[in-house]
Amino acid sequence: MLKCVMTGSQAKVFGKAVQSLSRISDQLWLDPSRKGLALRSVNSSRSAYGCVLFSPVFFQHYQWSTLVKMNENEHDTTLNLKCKLGMKSILPIFRCLNSLERNIEKCKIFTRSDKCKVVIQFFYRHGIKRTHNICFEESQPLQVIFDKNVCTNTLMIQPRLLADAIVLFTSSQEEVTLAVTPLNFCLKSSNEESMADLSNAVYSEMFVGSDDFDFFQIGMNTEITFCFKELKGILTFSEVTHAPISIYFDFPGKPLALSIDDMLVEANFILATLADEPSRASSPQSLCLSQKRKRSDLIKKKAGKNVTGQTLECISRKAAPRRIYPKETLTNISALENCGSPGMKRANGDISEVSESSVSNTEEVPGSRCLRKFSCMFFGAVSSDQQEHFNHPFDSLARASDSEEDMNNGRFSLS
Amino acid sequence: MKFRGKIVDGACLNHFTRISNMIAKLAKTCTLRISPDKLNFILCDKLANGGVSMWCELEQENFFSEFQMEGFSAENNEIYLELTSENLSRALKTAQNARALKIKLTNKHFPCLTVSVELFSMSSSTRIATHDIPIKVIPRKLWKDLQEPMVPDPDVSIYLPVLKTMKSVVEKMKNISSHLVIEANRDGELNLKIETELVCVTTHFKDLGNPPLASESTSQDRNPEHMAEVHIDIRKLLQFLAGQQVNPTKALCNIVTNKMVHFHLLHEDVSLQYFIPALS
Repeated sequence: MLKCVMTGSQAKVFGKAVQSLSRISDQLWLDPSRKGLALRSVNSSRSAYGCVLFSPVFFQHYQWSTLVKMNENEHDTTLNLKCKLGMKSILPIFRCLNSLERNIEKCKIFTRSDKCKVVIQFFYRHGIKRTHNICFEESQPLQVIFDKNVCTNTLMIQPRLLADAIVLFTSSQEEVTLAVTPLNFCLKSSNEESMADLSNAVYSEMFVGSDDFDFFQIGMNTEITFCFKELKGILTFSEVTHAPISIYFDFPGKPLALSIDDMLVEANFILATLADEPSRASSPQSLCLSQKRKRSDLIKKKAGKNVTGQTLECISRKAAPRRIYPKETLTNISALENCGSPGMKRANGDISEVSESSVSNTEEVPGSRCLRKFSCMFFGAVSSDQQEHFNHPFDSLARASDSEEDMNNGRFSLS
Repeated sequence: MKFRGKIVDGACLNHFTRISNMIAKLAKTCTLRISPDKLNFILCDKLANGGVSMWCELEQENFFSEFQMEGFSAENNEIYLELTSENLSRALKTAQNARALKIKLTNKHFPCLTVSVELFSMSSSTRIATHDIPIKVIPRKLWKDLQEPMVPDPDVSIYLPVLKTMKSVVEKMKNISSHLVIEANRDGELNLKIETELVCVTTHFKDLGNPPLASESTSQDRNPEHMAEVHIDIRKLLQFLAGQQVNPTKALCNIVTNKMVHFHLLHEDVSLQYFIPALS
């Protein structure tokens, strides 16, 4: 269902993408589609997501197809590649990228769905061939939907500058705070550490003037805190691209997006930020309500907007309120999911059903939707009033049109 | 107590950074002593350090373009601070291509050494990075333990071979035994020996040269080929050698038989003394 061929230098970029996603988690989804080959990774606490999308023209040859299963009840289900690889399996293959770039003539990646394997082959000079067979686990890829265009604050900076700022911070520091004003940018150690640690930890901060940025648009003074380790991930990838890094963010609690758009490759890293909620231990009910409100606000904004294939769509993802209590957050969420409908699976079904069809339609949709929306984790609380919020035309949402194309029975290939 | 200093010269800044890196490798926690004309990095020979002690001295006017300090009192015009050496070296890492570096003693919730680095930037606006390094002020009554160690009359004083070579030899020896014998004589010969039940390994260095001894009387009695030896813990020697990233301008070693070995290095104008006691 996937077959692609790359040159040595393309394989280097591919390998760097794998390395940068390894900073997020130790599992990787290989997700080929019409738009190209996407590599996705989500961390275990669901607070960071990375996706590198290689467009079909990046490769020397790119061929992708879906398997169509003919069902008895006239609903053909399209089965996309649900391929999840362990980082431990794929990372060692893309080691020594510089020598890889110099020595290989061709790199071929293809899947053998009959054996649940991904085959990666390197072709060297003199007829030498190196083949790796990696078993994959069948798992539906996750995707975060986030519209960068509605963010109040947008920055574009050369990766080198950001890398220099990162040197300031010790690897023991988990979180960094980004503080911006319309004139200024400051990266500093997070103040969230407990007082006991403060006496030992170095507090660092770095100011960068707005002139050093390629693009600097700040809608409002903001201070957001996020995990530092994942920032390094996108910096790793920036070493092989020539585009600046764009940073999109809003208020604390709303995710931060870091992206690099180098025409043939697009990388997006979406990180949760700490929300400065006055009451962190909010009852599940109130959490539920505020999420619904936010979501409806954003969807209102989006109505009538033309979303291109490349931009990710918008459903606000409310970040875990306090990352140091991930367990607590998760239990809250599961409580949410149960409040309104019996099980999570059912909740997912309800959500996708509502968004992908018109409001009045309440029929069951096939379970195998193309991509399980990440945001479902946080918006699992389904009650009948949720449907009222969806009184908006959905024709403009690309997701609706995507679902039509996924129903296509044909093979789709680009070379 | 007040302290503020500024370094603007690039070469001085790099040298100061190198010294700080070296200290970070030699001692996890150390004492910084600030006096009107000197800065010292001190490690005193507590049991916690395994009896190792260190005394590093630099003249402040060789580094700082501006230097102001006010010590504990008029008679005791010095400041003793305890800090984690790695914090300082990491803060200085950002100063590699800096326009200027400022260090000052501040009190933000608790006493800190604030290092602020002004970086070059492509545009008109400057980039400033600031680090607040937490420190502990050492009370006056403990100062007596932190004075320059007395160097006893050595039995043999000899110049050291290239430290990198010495380090690679000692590194390999560490795998065989933790007990090393250093011996040297007045004929410019230095040996590093390890001995186990199965094997005995010795590395010989020749033609090293001996500095002139202060007390000539003892030298008359001894046969120049007579070796003075001391048994030490190999890991302590290795830690010392690992800290030397750059080859020093001058390096010599003083051995007091069965008591200790004293290393005295000069990195341009910064002097470093390192004492390793003999194994009992």
